[in-house]
Amino acid sequence: MSAILASHRQAFGRAIGRMRSQPLASGLSIGVIAIAILLPLGLFMLFENITSAASRLNTEPNVNVYLALSATDAEAKDVERKLRAHANAQSVVFISREAALADMKQRANLGDLLAGIDANPLPHAFAIKPKSVDGATLDAMRADLTPIPKVETITMDFEWAKKLTRFARFAERLVFLLGAMLGAAVVFVVGNTIRLQMLTQKDEIIVARLIGATRRFVRRPFLYFGALQGALAGTLAVLAATALGRWAGSEVNALAATYGAELSVQVPTIVQAVWVVGLGTALGWVGAFVSVSMYWRQVEAAK
Amino acid sequence: MIHYSNVTKRYASGYEALKDVSLVIDKGEMVAITGHSGAGKSTLLKLVAGIEFASGGNVMVNGQNLALLKEAHLSVLRQNLGLVFQDHKLLFDRNVFENVALPLEIAGFTRHETGKRVRAALDKVGLLPREKAHPIALSGGEQQRLCIARAIVNRPSVLIADEPTGNLDQAYAATILDLFRSFNQVGVTVVLSTHDELGLARLQCRRVTLDQGRVVP
Repeated sequence: MSAILASHRQAFGRAIGRMRSQPLASGLSIGVIAIAILLPLGLFMLFENITSAASRLNTEPNVNVYLALSATDAEAKDVERKLRAHANAQSVVFISREAALADMKQRANLGDLLAGIDANPLPHAFAIKPKSVDGATLDAMRADLTPIPKVETITMDFEWAKKLTRFARFAERLVFLLGAMLGAAVVFVVGNTIRLQMLTQKDEIIVARLIGATRRFVRRPFLYFGALQGALAGTLAVLAATALGRWAGSEVNALAATYGAELSVQVPTIVQAVWVVGLGTALGWVGAFVSVSMYWRQVEAAK
Repeated sequence: MIHYSNVTKRYASGYEALKDVSLVIDKGEMVAITGHSGAGKSTLLKLVAGIEFASGGNVMVNGQNLALLKEAHLSVLRQNLGLVFQDHKLLFDRNVFENVALPLEIAGFTRHETGKRVRAALDKVGLLPREKAHPIALSGGEQQRLCIARAIVNRPSVLIADEPTGNLDQAYAATILDLFRSFNQVGVTVVLSTHDELGLARLQCRRVTLDQGRVVP
């Protein structure tokens, strides 16, 4: 057991030694791998943020009906009755102009600005939840509601939010596809580095094999080297994604605040960071394994 | 201990290096394989280490048929043999100490045990003061002694040496052969190939002569 541990320790030490003996080449490889990991990770974080923001939006289908400013409470009651009677109206919620103003003051921090206005600029409104969101049915509904006296504007503004959610789902798949492609790129980059190492250390491999080294013994330092490269690149990618997220986050927060909204940019969580580093390590190991297996015969033939 | 039974070795090019060779080398014996260049000496030794495999017949080492051994078992067998190569096969990016330590790294020895054994092996071949030097800084004789130190550091029961005195002058060659004699005197089986007649006279061991791949009776 101690012999196996000693052998692993030596292999790990040799992998670190090889990395330290070629700091520039190793640094460049790690940088390239880190970029390959950062691209899908950055996109993943971007779409995570979009999905998160979209989930906070009201994507429930609502038809908003705004009355004329001149509409009285009694006229509003009359309109409400007609709206409730519509065949496509599942539920109707009345939002009085007073309630709308109070809500606006609270939400958008416009209290000071609105305090300077004598009259309430907001109309009475209704939020209708339709039974069917089919385009033709909604068009017919709009046509039915428009002629009702005192009805001034009808909006159906949930479509964009639905599109955003759909786009986020599509983007998620795109990120996975890109991740898979760049994962393969990581395997190739590590594989090529290992291939060059095997060729430069051909003599050592040959001598070691001649005096009794097993394939596993020869392969081990290369596998550790690949895994180490992947782990370092993964760590670098997580740090870069966090730094970029924080940097962009402060701007997004400031921008959202001007609209009275709160929008926080998410950076990789600890669990996500562990996954990324783990994935980088695994890809590095796979790249090294594939490369060693491919070039093994070439080196052995020189024996 | 080592048993060649009707061994034939034919290379891919069609060249037949060994033809129906039968030979038994007992434990603790010292055997010199002699013959002209191309007689098959190196091939005969490579077969014992599993570096080459017989095209016909069997090679048995410690009762194990090498042709039937799996890769991992063959590696274990090699770890128990001390191999001295004609071209030394030293690692020039490692120093003397690190070259000798390689077989112990492979066997998984601890750093402490490795240090002890490497220094003992270097002391035996007279290279202890040069443990930090790189092979490029050593003379031909010293490089050969370094190769011998690497071969004995695992305390093998069999030492296989292919032309160990091939590129050395008479004085150095005598020192190297004396080293092999001293290992044999403590029970190590030694099989070496040479065409150094003066050295052979000095060794006074069993002599097996090969000619065009056949053992000369």
